This record gives sequence, C-alpha cells and structure tokens, in this order.
Amino acid sequence: VKILFLADRRTNAGSIQAVASYVRAGDELGHTIALYGRPDPHYPGVRCSTDLDAFDHVMFICEYGVGWMSGLRMSGIFSKVPRGQRAILDADGMYNPIICIDGYDRNHANENDRSRWRQHCDAVTDKILQPTLEPIDPAVRPLPFYAYDPTLHVDPKRAPPKRFDIMHVGHNWWRWREISNQVLPALERIRGGLDGVCFLGLWWDMVPAGAREQHLELAFGFDTDWFRRLGIEVRPPVPFTQVAVAMSEGRLNIMTQRPLFRHLKILTAKYFEIFCADTIPLVMLEQDHAESVYGPAGRELALDGDIAGKLLDALYRPKKYRELVEEVRHHLAAHQSYGVRVADLVAALQAS
Amino acid sequence: MKMLFVSRLDRAARAVRAITQYVALAKRKGHEAAVFGEPRADFPSVPHSRDIGRYDFVIFVVYDAWDFPDLPHLARLLDAVPRERRVIIDCIGSYNETVKVEHDANHMEKLNGHQAWEWIDGFEAVADKILQPTLTPLRKDVVPFLFFGYDPSLVKRTCSSPQEAAKAWSGQAGLLKQYGVVYVGHNWQRWSQMRRFLEAIEPLDRWLRPICLKGWAWDRRPDWAVEHDFGGVDVDPDFLNRVGAEIGEGIPYDEVVSLQSQARFCPVIHRPLFNRLGLVTNRTFETFCSDTVPVLLLPKAFVETIHGPDALLLAAGDDIPGKLTDMMRRPEVYWDAILKTRAHLAAHHSYEQRFEELMAILDGRDMAYTTPLRAAVSM
Repeated sequence: VKILFLADRRTNAGSIQAVASYVRAGDELGHTIALYGRPDPHYPGVRCSTDLDAFDHVMFICEYGVGWMSGLRMSGIFSKVPRGQRAILDADGMYNPIICIDGYDRNHANENDRSRWRQHCDAVTDKILQPTLEPIDPAVRPLPFYAYDPTLHVDPKRAPPKRFDIMHVGHNWWRWREISNQVLPALERIRGGLDGVCFLGLWWDMVPAGAREQHLELAFGFDTDWFRRLGIEVRPPVPFTQVAVAMSEGRLNIMTQRPLFRHLKILTAKYFEIFCADTIPLVMLEQDHAESVYGPAGRELALDGDIAGKLLDALYRPKKYRELVEEVRHHLAAHQSYGVRVADLVAALQAS
Repeated sequence: MKMLFVSRLDRAARAVRAITQYVALAKRKGHEAAVFGEPRADFPSVPHSRDIGRYDFVIFVVYDAWDFPDLPHLARLLDAVPRERRVIIDCIGSYNETVKVEHDANHMEKLNGHQAWEWIDGFEAVADKILQPTLTPLRKDVVPFLFFGYDPSLVKRTCSSPQEAAKAWSGQAGLLKQYGVVYVGHNWQRWSQMRRFLEAIEPLDRWLRPICLKGWAWDRRPDWAVEHDFGGVDVDPDFLNRVGAEIGEGIPYDEVVSLQSQARFCPVIHRPLFNRLGLVTNRTFETFCSDTVPVLLLPKAFVETIHGPDALLLAAGDDIPGKLTDMMRRPEVYWDAILKTRAHLAAHHSYEQRFEELMAILDGRDMAYTTPLRAAVSM
C-alpha cells in the first residue's frame, strides 16, 4: 500500500518523528510511505513526494491549526486525489465538541471556531481518525498512530554526559498550569539536592508574536523569575533527530501533557520517544492510563501523587527505575511498535 | 457574460479598487459580476454570491495563498466549475520560479510555507488560464493582462491647462494643501525606497512638510517580523519622527484619491519584486487621479511604456532633491506632463479598456488585445 502523509512540516514540533518512523517501518513491511513535499535535508530519513497520483491513500495530519492546508495547496490535492482516498488524523482532538478543562485548556475558543474546523475536515473527507482509543465522537475512528521506535534508542555508551538531574523536553503550550501547580512546587522542595534542571523547548521564556491577538496568552504562561530562583536552565528546541539525544542529558525526564490531551487520552509522539532516550522517564499520567500504554511497569513510572518524593526516589534508586524502564521498553516493542501501527493504519485507511 | 471574482476583499488593501471597478463596469455593460461570498455591509454596492453555478467564469485574484477560499467553499468551487472556466489573476507573479529582490520575493516560504513548485502546481490545478499584470511575463504560458487601470471619472480636479492646474496646486487660488507629501500604502517591502525618498527631501524646503504616511506598519516593525528576523517590513520610527512624518493606519480605497489630493507631492513606489517583473498595481494609475504631483520612483523604461513618454519628466531618477526642487520651481512644466499622462492613461489604460481585454481573454481572443502593448514593450 502507498500512503502519503500531509502535515505542517516543522523540524522541531508536530509529528515529524512519527512520519520518519512510519517511512522506515513501512519499508520493512513492503509499504511505501512518504511525506508530501520536495526532499529536504532538514528531514533526514523522511521520504518525500509531490506525486499525488502515485499513492493509494493520502492522510492529513492535523494539529491545532489547519492554516497550512491552504486553498493553494488543497486545490492541487482535490484535483488529483478522490475523496474516498483521503483521511484526516485529528491529532489534537479538534473535531470534538468544545471541551474546556477547568476553564483553562480547550480545543476551541468558541462554537464558531469549532464549526469552521469541522466544516474544513468534512470538506476533505469523511474518515476522521484520532490518536486515542476512546474517541468521544461516534464519527471518529480510533487510531493510536504514535508508537515506539527502538531504532531511535540512544546507546548509553554513546549518550552525552548527564548535565542535568531533571529535564523537561517539550514546548510550552497549555502546560503552565500543570508545571506551576505541580512540577515547580515539587522542584522547590527538593532543589537543594538536585544537580541541574533544564526545560528544553519553545516559549518557556516568551510569548510568541501573535498570541495576544489570538487571545492565546493563557496557553503560554511562564515565570522567568521563578525559573531563575530555581536555577532552571531554558534551552531552545532541537530538531526531531536530536530529541532522544537531548533527553539523554538528563538523569530523569518528566513528560507532561496538556490537560485536554490527558482528558481525551490522546497519545503523542512524546509518550514513546522519551523511552528511546538514555534516561529515566517519569510521566505525568494517571496510573491506570500509564499502565494501559506502557504495561504494568508503567504504573511505577507515573508521576501521580507525590511528585517530589518520586523524583528523589528515582534519582536515589536509579537501578530500580532502569529495570522498570527496560520492562516498559519490552512491552512497547511487543505491543506499541510502528510495525503494529502501520498495519493498523493500513486497515483504517482501507476500511470503508 | 457572468463573472465571479474570488478574492479577499479588504477596503484598505490589494485589488479592492480594481474589483469594484469591474463589478460596476459589468453592470453598466449588460454583463454580471459578483464577488464570491456572503453579502457584506461594508460593500453595499458590490454583489456577493455563493451561487457558483450561475456564473460563466470564476476569476481568482491572488496575492497570497489565503486568497483561495477556505474549505469547504474551495471544494464546492472546484467541484462546480470546470477548470477551463477558471482563471487566475496572479497579482504578484507567484506563478514563476522564485524571484528574490532584496528582502522581497514572489514566494515567502517563511510566511506561508509554500515553495515555488507548490505555487506552480497549485495554479495549474486551479485554472486553465493564468494572467499576470505585467507586459513582460517570464513564462510563456502566462497571459499578460494589466488588470489594474485608470478611471478618469475619479480625477479630483479637472483643469483645462497646466497653468490653471499649477496655480491651484501652488495655493495661488486660495486653497492651500494640508500636506507636503502623502503616501498611502502599506509598509510591505517599501521601506528602503521610502527611506531613500524621505532622506532626499529632508534638507529641502518646508513646502514639502508635513509628511503623512498612511498604511500598515509604518509605526513599528511587527513583533512577528522581529521574532522571525523577517526583512521587508523594516521601519525607523526615530527617523520618521525626526522628519516629522505623521503616521496613520491604512484608509479605505474610496478615500485615497481625496487624501492624496491634500498633498503637493505623492511618491509612487512599487515593491522591488514588482519593479523586477514589471508588475503594475492599482497605485500605478490611481495617483494620477489625485490633485497632486506624482513623483514616480519607478524604472524609467516602465514609466515610458505604461505611463507614456510625457511621464518620464515625473520620474525622479537618481536625483530626487533636484527633481523636487525643479517641480517646485517650474510647476507648470510638470503639470503639463501630468495632464498629458492622464490623457495617455485614459486612452490606453482605462478600466473600460481593461474590461474589454478581460472579456477577450475569457472568450479566447486574448492576443488581439495584448499584442499592441507587448509590441510597445519590445520597442
């Protein structure tokens, strides 16, 4: 089967790592998977194609914005790819009704925005997939999509030196409430015993241009003074090829997820990427959900409750946690690999 | 003929003057033209429609990727109208390989994520005919069509002689102009030329004051441009403050001629890209409707071809201070050039003519209309 992904191409965000893994896993299974566009050295390992006629299925990976699906771009696609061959991966749960979590995180600001989003998707296809096993809209089909790619493993022998006790890798997009209410207070309690803390990603020290105009300031909350008091180093994002390596500079890595995604149980690339790094991942998920994704050992790696205590425990007893991480990796390789996902994707696209 | 224009209609930007002219002309000539979309209170005289099936041709007027309608409307348009009845007017030469001039380019990938190939593939998917408002398109498959034109009925003050015009302009008739210089247009790829112009006139007579710039981003460089190190929307507020420039937002298209008429001089500036591609804009022609002296900061060959030989006198060339000093010293000479240029524009570039040219292109008779102008270019 030949599958072409269309996505907003960014080297340091979105689903680009997943696309690269699909390309590789597809090749192993005899499928041809590519990303729409011309080959670009910034995307090593990503097969690119503009030959829309050459693919059986086209899947749009839609995140928060669909501006990249411009009329210019869509005109060419509509003229060459029949509707029945198109699908959308609604990666951020935008196709759902308006969902607002605790008056903070939300998929849409208002019904008008939501309606426009839905009409946009409905014009493209009637096959909407979401990376969750529990979609709330009956018209949406579940497709976990993101997965574990053992080829991305950072060999401990080749890993960079550990510069930080704790790292958080990810952009600041609807994460501040969780960070400010839970993570920073926990770090405050144990900071004296830590070697270094690093937040790597965008918008931990600034609000991007345009956010105020779009009433999205809340999504980019930050407190530079607090970070400074805690000695937290902020570093810029790295390309997708360097994420696991960058994570490996931390003894522990904390994975947070925006509240909306936690609510919808939406999987992201980070769920799995963090287990490719030479680090001990601690995931801020409910234990049951962590177990459903990572297997039984996942419960132990969930940061659910006494965060400060768990962080110290992991730092002081790394052997125990490394064994848990290995267990999770085995579970992921068996149940959540891209080989499994490619088969799921092909089935979803071929389903009527 | 029934035509449906597809574009983002903005009262203070882009092709709004041209589109409203075509809509009015169509009605006057027994045709029908509308703009795709729901009726708009800010355009009461412009019919809007989503009834795609009733139109013979759909004309996309494109400056950027967002001029194509959003989904689901785009899908409906493409489904309802066959490609041979769709036309694109490519206002900035996007249907070319990438052309870069200074900070300017026909493909701003950093802004909209589209590379050259996507513009070319996308345009070809949409339309059978691609028109560009230049007489010298780079591609053989582009139809040259200037699109923008001159409307003599908009001329603010008609004068029977250059002496009369110069007298009125000088204030000798008792009407003093409010501004020395007015420029109406957004600060998009224009700063380097504007700065050169303002620096040149800074030491000159107080008669060139005050200065007024109306348009987007003359007050400060937008945050996004700073954040992404995007050139082409540069500005120096301290310098503008020093020369006493009054800065304001863009004004509606139907107030431009009047505001410019309150100035003794109006510079006519095209984006560097447009100068390279020979693209015309609404302002190429409209400034001549105002009761002002247009100072043409344009390539002389372009001026001669489009505005006619008399307009060469209005081209500032390299000596802007010298030219403006002479304009102030001998206004009758320059008003003679302005009146002759107006006559030239009325004879060769009226919207009436443009409308007929467009009809011919839609009918497949395009060469008959464009050949004389193209021949003029090659002379």
